[in-house]
Amino acid sequence: MTAVAIPGQRRSWIRMPGRNARLVILYLLPAFFVMGIITFYPLAFQTWMSFTDFAIGNLRPGAPAPPWVGLGNYIRIVENNLGIPNFYFVRQVIYNLWWALANVAIHVVLGVAIALLLNTKGLRFKKFWRALYILPVVIPPIIVATVWRNMFDTRNGAINYLLAEIGGLFRIPAETFQIDWLRFSGDVFPFLPSEVNYFLPLAFFALLAANTWLGWPLNAVVATGALQSIPGELYEAAEMDGAGAWQKFRNVTLVYLRPAMIPYAIYGFVITFNLFFLAYFMSGGGPFGRTEQLVTQAFRLVNQQRLYGIAAAFSVIMFFILLAITLVTNRLARATASFDR
Amino acid sequence: MSRLAGTAAALALFAAATPVVAQSPSPAPAGSPESAGSPAPAGSPAGGAAPLEGSVTLWHTYSSGAGTELTALNQVLDSVRSANPGLTIEVLEVPFGEVFNKYQLEVASGGGPDLMVVPNDSLGQLTRDQLIAPIDPAVEATLTDISQLALDGSKVDGVLMQIPESLKAVALYYNGDAVATPPATTDELLAALAADTSVGLVQGSYHNFGWWGAFGGQLMDDTGKCIADQGGVADAFAFLAQLKEAGATFDPTYDNIANGFKDGSLDIIVDGPWAAGGYVEAVPNVGVVAMPSGPGGPAQPLTGVDGYLINPNGDTALATQVALALTSPEAQQVFADIAYHIPANSTIVADDPISQQFAEAVASGFPRPQNIELNNFWGNFDNALNQVLDTGADPTAAVAEACAAMNTANGK
Repeated sequence: MTAVAIPGQRRSWIRMPGRNARLVILYLLPAFFVMGIITFYPLAFQTWMSFTDFAIGNLRPGAPAPPWVGLGNYIRIVENNLGIPNFYFVRQVIYNLWWALANVAIHVVLGVAIALLLNTKGLRFKKFWRALYILPVVIPPIIVATVWRNMFDTRNGAINYLLAEIGGLFRIPAETFQIDWLRFSGDVFPFLPSEVNYFLPLAFFALLAANTWLGWPLNAVVATGALQSIPGELYEAAEMDGAGAWQKFRNVTLVYLRPAMIPYAIYGFVITFNLFFLAYFMSGGGPFGRTEQLVTQAFRLVNQQRLYGIAAAFSVIMFFILLAITLVTNRLARATASFDR
Repeated sequence: MSRLAGTAAALALFAAATPVVAQSPSPAPAGSPESAGSPAPAGSPAGGAAPLEGSVTLWHTYSSGAGTELTALNQVLDSVRSANPGLTIEVLEVPFGEVFNKYQLEVASGGGPDLMVVPNDSLGQLTRDQLIAPIDPAVEATLTDISQLALDGSKVDGVLMQIPESLKAVALYYNGDAVATPPATTDELLAALAADTSVGLVQGSYHNFGWWGAFGGQLMDDTGKCIADQGGVADAFAFLAQLKEAGATFDPTYDNIANGFKDGSLDIIVDGPWAAGGYVEAVPNVGVVAMPSGPGGPAQPLTGVDGYLINPNGDTALATQVALALTSPEAQQVFADIAYHIPANSTIVADDPISQQFAEAVASGFPRPQNIELNNFWGNFDNALNQVLDTGADPTAAVAEACAAMNTANGK
């Protein structure tokens, strides 16, 4: 719970004047009650589940408690001892971090660049362009994943058709472009070590393309808002001081973009880290689990493997990974610093 | 309280990715006036006994195929409803990929439909989890016209766990306009590929299981231990790699292969009777034959049994009577005529040539095992097949690795 700090007063609401404190508690109680039922209690129960060999039969009325296995589920996960093909826990964590980082970096850079372009003085139809580029965001995720999967289809996909057309101009046979984007498991960059190539399957780039198409517009919206809040006088003053275009961008634009973009980048990182629908519906986690994300793996542990206790332990681990990421990024960016600091 | 928490936690684990496709059914408690049904003669929706009364919920997956199964089901339901005016049947279609998990979760939580018609894919698991009710031996005794194959496929450890409706196995579809004589052997299939016949196969263990028998391979011994590494299966995998090398299309997405056959880009595929309606409509000169035999003998696709499962949480007596009405000889005839089902009732003859071919495929198939060890088959052998076809891995090593992983997971 975030402390409510009022300038000139002590920080803790507990020491508010009595009537105010009671009122605050009264207002918070309903929300806390609902959160307790739908969030905190299931979380606590799931944590308990993670120490048991929970099975579907344990849901039945009057069913005996599941066997207590202590840290057994956690140990099996870390040791990749689940009897599931292509399950490598540490690799999945690294891939998931790499996936989120690569996406956010591209989204932010592209979003800012396009926002800058659309902020150019004299550009016509600005409102139209801004409305147009937000379109991908309003399309349902399952549609996005299905369309992109079809576009990357080996035989009938638009991407291979396009490449074949371009190749045709250079007399390259069309068969050359029967690329199996989502299932090719060979090394994309033969000059890199196999350990690095493992995290760079062709499917990764197909997913990256789809998520870039989906992800940059909102970054551009946020950047556009920040850009429009920069007073024009600052640029005029910088010009008077002899600043060039790069110096104005670095010392004025970036400075004003930072408070808006960094919190959004953190948010984007967490959202991308947990992005379910592309990996699940587009690549299916393939080839050989190399684009599997922690969130899709957790789903499969329940839905396909029916390993409820293991899935609970997996989700707890995911929670702590995300908690660590959030704390680190918050620390770095001071994104959630209170106004009174 | 712990059940509530368990349900909440399981729902949390399922997260948002499990689509909610149904209202929560509310089976009438056994013995309640609402559910008091009067038994009707087996398999007769309009039998001579008192009509059925009460309310049941039925889940099915019949929109997943060509749509003809849904047409047949609706026709049968109309017939049963008109014969039993006091009976309300609420029908809900659930996507095939979701149906077993949805059923498990809801029934384990005390809800779920009264009955569900599905293949016997998870019959053993559902039985072990006590999520389906055994069929009353008195009812079983009335199923005298049901074939032994269908009855065996509906039993787990000798106990009848579903009312059988039809039998299913995959066979070879061919476009008669492009293929004059369908291949009868694996060598002929390779020769057809060399002669520019386009062949497409779903890249998965279910659709390709039949090749195992064609090369003399076996999955498990009597104890449930994987013995696929003892010869035959690796040869089947090598044959599939040969097919791919010769130009066959392998795609893990079922719809891509099915649509390829419909649009004429594939001349030969392997698929089941549930899709026949769509192929007959799209490919005027479609034909069906058994999967090609190989050096080890005839192909042995997995033979499954579609049947009605009864939810133990509801009025099992009424649900059983409704299931019997929905699997009456008349009902099975409707499914055979409209949806190319191979009836479980041996007195019904499917006279369509396509159905007859599927009937032969069913008869020569390998009854789907219901033991717990099968749970660790699919993932490991799908992975082995992918390794052989996608990375050129050695079939013998891939099969040995999959078999070892399966045995390790099963404690064998």
